[in-house]
Amino acid sequence: MKSRSIVLLSTLLRSTSQWNIYKHCKDKRKKGRIIGNTVGYAILFLLIMAYCVFTCVGYGKLGLADSIPGTCALLVSALAFFFTLMKTNGYLFGFREYDMLMSLPFSPKTVAGCKFLYMYVKSLGWFLAVSLSMMIGYGIYAGPSVIAYPVWILLTFFLPIVPMLAAAFVGFLIAKVSAGFRKTNIVQTVLIFVFILLMFASRFLIEDVVRNQKVDQMVSKMSGAMDHATHAYPPAQWFADGVSVLRLSDVLLLVGLSILLFEVMFLLVGRSYRKINSGLLTHGGSKKFNMNERRKRPVVQTIAAKEWRRMTGSATYMTNALFGELLVLILGGASLFVDLDAVLKKILHDAPVTKEMLIPAIPFIVYFFIGMVATTAITPSIEGKQYWIVQSLPIPKKTLYQGKMLFNMYLTVPCTVFSTICLCISARASVLTTVLSVLLGIFLCAFSTCAGCASGIKHMRLDWENEIEVVKQSAAVSLYLLPNMFATMILTVLVVVIGMKVDVVFVLLGMMLVEILLAVVFYRKAMKLAQRTI
Amino acid sequence: MEKKAVLEIKGYTKVYPGGKKAADNVNLTVESGDIYGFIGHNGAGKSTTIRAVVGVLDFTEGEILIDGKSVKKDPVACKEITAYIPDNPDLYENLTGIQYLDFVADVFRIGAKEREDAIRKYADMLEITDALGNLISSYSHGMKQKLAIISALIHDPKLIVMDEPFVGLDPKASFTLKQIMHDLCKEGVAIFFSTHVLEVAEKLCNKVAIIKQGRIIDAGDMETVIGNHSLEEVFLEVQDEES
Repeated sequence: MKSRSIVLLSTLLRSTSQWNIYKHCKDKRKKGRIIGNTVGYAILFLLIMAYCVFTCVGYGKLGLADSIPGTCALLVSALAFFFTLMKTNGYLFGFREYDMLMSLPFSPKTVAGCKFLYMYVKSLGWFLAVSLSMMIGYGIYAGPSVIAYPVWILLTFFLPIVPMLAAAFVGFLIAKVSAGFRKTNIVQTVLIFVFILLMFASRFLIEDVVRNQKVDQMVSKMSGAMDHATHAYPPAQWFADGVSVLRLSDVLLLVGLSILLFEVMFLLVGRSYRKINSGLLTHGGSKKFNMNERRKRPVVQTIAAKEWRRMTGSATYMTNALFGELLVLILGGASLFVDLDAVLKKILHDAPVTKEMLIPAIPFIVYFFIGMVATTAITPSIEGKQYWIVQSLPIPKKTLYQGKMLFNMYLTVPCTVFSTICLCISARASVLTTVLSVLLGIFLCAFSTCAGCASGIKHMRLDWENEIEVVKQSAAVSLYLLPNMFATMILTVLVVVIGMKVDVVFVLLGMMLVEILLAVVFYRKAMKLAQRTI
Repeated sequence: MEKKAVLEIKGYTKVYPGGKKAADNVNLTVESGDIYGFIGHNGAGKSTTIRAVVGVLDFTEGEILIDGKSVKKDPVACKEITAYIPDNPDLYENLTGIQYLDFVADVFRIGAKEREDAIRKYADMLEITDALGNLISSYSHGMKQKLAIISALIHDPKLIVMDEPFVGLDPKASFTLKQIMHDLCKEGVAIFFSTHVLEVAEKLCNKVAIIKQGRIIDAGDMETVIGNHSLEEVFLEVQDEES
């Protein structure tokens, strides 16, 4: 007789297995999409593995092969922590099938533990891809004994557990606090933002400490930083020592601590699991509603308002959609009170870059954060099972997607304008440059909105189980985000370089023309795709 | 057959964050062989009470006992003898019907032969056998409801709790479900369900409770509660009186 935990875990995995859908689905288009996604993921895995191997080659060539295990441990741990932190709410707490699972004879600890293990197994492929490719790199340059390889593989399975548990614990605390409020989503979002900002702040503090060690060369500085961080995080040190000097005590410590923490964590979570989920999933409506004078709005604005309410109704969606905007507001506000030259010196490790040189790049710096997420890439799929509502509305599909685009513009443009003006003031840009920078920022927002919408409609997926699949893991979001992010980074450097030779006004005007053209192209593409939707 | 309390709700109170009371000192007892109807307006507290009974929701005060065991202190033991059919079942859409039923049967540790017999019996009765190999995502609301009903019945529960079980079912399936309820009731199973279809409640139930704004305003044997009137008349009357 299988234990209930195994039954639940295997069912959770099967319920989201693409292979299970492929086997039983009769829709050929859906089958084709599954094959396409699998090929896409395989390519992404290969790219990540290639990146890791080449990183190790770099380490090896510089004689720093001994730092590879520590770097690998930190990389896997950091990935595990951040992947889990963003997923805890939605996977561990407040998930859709909560009622069904909790009405079955599972203890709360079993449900929470299996949900965690489900997250772990689902992410394990990424961790293995990183770790095993770095093991190959380490094998080539350090030539360890044969026994190091099975130890490395074994420890890779345990390495993500501690950081995942730490992230789940943070998620648990956030869920526990917010469950006591009526506006749980807002409280959860604010707490997640506060935690992430604290993490960012502590990162700079740690970097300061590391930099005080005064290592001369840049590469050895990186390696030195990694070594320091490895020492600061014991599980990474145990992994590094376990695979490099094959110390059994370190292997046992990592394995033992992972299992012990798992048990303790879910004993703790299990105790208040029902209470937290009750708080997150049920809300008392307000007692009295006064019907005020109602307002008639244009359809496009009504759709935009609907999207706003959809976003604020979900902490997961809100955290992802508003994070860039929040960072940009902080960046803009802070730039008025700090010396930009000093900040640049600090961030760029004393590289000879001045604030004047950065003026043409201001709109792109702001856009780097703003363009991280386009809600238009999310909104088509987030309709999910409620898609029938917009389907049955007596409006053309174009209007529907124009409304979704307007919502993204409402979110992005005010933050872009504010932050660009602040940065321009701080960099002492001329009025004309400021105006052009603001305009370029707005056109970048328009481009992001239209490109996101085209990707969102093209890769629309309504049959999701958990909204994290749409907000964080969908093809629509990835195919918008990755090219956009790399293009923005390249453009930022490019405009700085061109700006050193050409007048900043011409650079900005040139970029504006390019962005207008791109926005129009993607707008037309999105509208064409919109008309094809059912 | 000797009557025995299967579900006892004693002083059950649920307060939401912000202070709103969803249920206020609810007391009722469902005995073996009872078909107990739970009626009230939308938002009266029916679903909240039902979700607390099946161990899904936490509650503020009171005690809920199933077969003498506390839902709070011994939830797994309570759930082993309880079946829950929600109004809008959230099933695993990317499993096939039979995969889902196997999952539930595995959780309740039902042997291969028993599960096969139970699935065949109820799936044939509800005319869904042919669709069991399809993904649940391809099912209509009614088919999902039928699947939830089968999954609830395969482990021979002592208590069946249902939230609006007839919503989405076709007329024949509704009739079949009523027959199943009658048969189970004769075997001593206790059934506690909410409904807005008062004619069904009146014909089907031997006991009824009316809930308004989280408080039970009338409860007991159907004959005692309705007297010479219809359940609809009594329901409307007590609702108006209270307001």
